[in-house]
Amino acid sequence: MKVINARHRDSAGAEGTMENFTALFGAQADPPPPPTALGFGAGKPPPPPPPPPGGGPGPAPPPTAASAPSGADKSAAGCGPFYLMRELPGSTELTGSTNLITHYNLEHAYNKFCGKKVKEKLSNFLPDLPGMIDLPGSHDNSSLRSLIEKPPILGGSFNPITGTMLAGFRLHTGPLPEQCRLMHIQPPKKKNKQKHKQSRTQDPVPPETPSDSDHKKKKKKKEEDPERKRKKKEKKKKKNRHSPDHPGVGSSQASSSSSLR
Amino acid sequence: MAEKFDHLEEHLEKFVENIRQLGIIVSDFQPSSQAGLNQKLNFIVTGLQDIDKCRQQLHDITVPLEVFEYIDQGRNPQLYTKECLERALAKNEQVKGKIDTMKKFKSLLIQELSKVFPEDMAKYWSIWGEDHPPS
Repeated sequence: MKVINARHRDSAGAEGTMENFTALFGAQADPPPPPTALGFGAGKPPPPPPPPPGGGPGPAPPPTAASAPSGADKSAAGCGPFYLMRELPGSTELTGSTNLITHYNLEHAYNKFCGKKVKEKLSNFLPDLPGMIDLPGSHDNSSLRSLIEKPPILGGSFNPITGTMLAGFRLHTGPLPEQCRLMHIQPPKKKNKQKHKQSRTQDPVPPETPSDSDHKKKKKKKEEDPERKRKKKEKKKKKNRHSPDHPGVGSSQASSSSSLR
Repeated sequence: MAEKFDHLEEHLEKFVENIRQLGIIVSDFQPSSQAGLNQKLNFIVTGLQDIDKCRQQLHDITVPLEVFEYIDQGRNPQLYTKECLERALAKNEQVKGKIDTMKKFKSLLIQELSKVFPEDMAKYWSIWGEDHPPS
């Protein structure tokens, strides 16, 4: 860093610079003339120096040419060029320059969460929880946020259900409609292809519910239909290429015949 | 402290398992399942009572609301912890950089001022004396 001053060339110039510097911040050598000298009458006494901001703690500085009062009144010493100087704020041991993670013994936690790859989905954190938990809570109105914003109105305590109350829980026999079947649906779990192939030959296939098998068959049919169409199109294209009526084939034969001549 | 979390976790797991079994019973209900259904319903009530008892031991535990946003989005809440640690480390490094830069600037400023204004700097050092903080 360079303090640019065009007048500071040599020692003689430095003295002139000092005069300008002190002149900027007020000089003790030339105090302002008293108001009586200017013919305004007896002036008011000069105001007392401002009190120190921190009460002047610490040892007393040595007496300076500016006649600073005893005690650590650094702001009063600013009668010279340092009139803006104040006490520094108290220094603390813990600052941003220290590694806060080691200071608070969070290295293990940091390595655990940031060293390894944390999986994105909620089902990886709660694998044993049934249902589709990876979906947003706003889909089925099961968000925790809504529970906090609109807490349900509760009674006072949890009382056991009596016999007469249990009469209201008599259900009809038979399976539930498909719309209400949500408990058995689990998020799809990724499996290795090799393991999956081995399991096909070794383990028996678990019994499927009729609704699931119909759904799978429909999916298979939908997947097969576009594939069948593509295969048919490819076959047609191949047939058309090899037919004598195709312009491309005919032109190529004509060119080959012309070259032989 | 980990024990009260273990108790709560245990009660919650039992409660969830109870609800799951109730769902299985209801999905294909038979007349003979009525007794089991009534039993599961009473287990729900006792499970809620047990969870309510655990609440008293955990009244001083605070959970940040941002974690609930992660859960509502179907994301792993450990990602919140990971992002907090990463943000803390990044901010720590940023502040350390600022402190180091300011220290270098101070030492450089004092050095240059001592060259240009030696007398004023001598006054400055005399005023601070032993109170001057280490640079």
